[in-house]
Amino acid sequence: MTFAWRTVGMNYLQYSSIAARALRRTAKPELQAEIAKRQGMGIKVAKWEAGKSGIPAQVSMIETRSVAEN
Amino acid sequence: MTVTVVASRFYASEATGAAAGKLVVNFALPHQSVMTSQEVNQVDLSAVSGDLGILADHVPTIEQLKPGVIDFISDSGSQKYFVSGGFAIMNPNSVLNINAIEAFKLEDIDAQAVATNLAESQRLASSAKDEITKEAAAIEIELYESLQSALLGKSK
Repeated sequence: MTFAWRTVGMNYLQYSSIAARALRRTAKPELQAEIAKRQGMGIKVAKWEAGKSGIPAQVSMIETRSVAEN
Repeated sequence: MTVTVVASRFYASEATGAAAGKLVVNFALPHQSVMTSQEVNQVDLSAVSGDLGILADHVPTIEQLKPGVIDFISDSGSQKYFVSGGFAIMNPNSVLNINAIEAFKLEDIDAQAVATNLAESQRLASSAKDEITKEAAAIEIELYESLQSALLGKSK
């Protein structure tokens, strides 16, 4: 079974980030300061071939809100 | 290859964890350990393959979670968390490991924020030009709708 997000070219990292950020926005205001502290983590992926690493590339996140989340 | 199996015996009153017919739950987020070796009677969760009610001695399985409510039921009552997704891994020894990226108790969710964000995501879904943004909006809509019905269910 292929997920809809997979067929449009998204990977699991992007999918789970979209869901996580969506949920964070709905937490009560008093929790938002804590939440802000754990934002802004990215991930870099490097492809390895024949024992040599390729250039690490940042996995881009998909933005759904015009105000970029820090 | 030889496998040594050690059987242990103890008084029924001392039995803990799997021996007492309980699930032992480890529920972790990247930033926080919500539960560590917590004994519960039952865990209800929403997996991609369907809704599951897990008891002690459940058949081992790995399930991908949908955004939804995980309900931890113990003698003292039920505790509900809404998770953004993740995995539940049931082990043969009645240990249940749940990993999620984000999880909040239902009482920590702002219902108004859910309604506002749902409307925003619906707007995005209809105005988006590319498939990826459309799909991203669809993911958010599914999560917010699930969250809304979870919040409504709670107030019953």
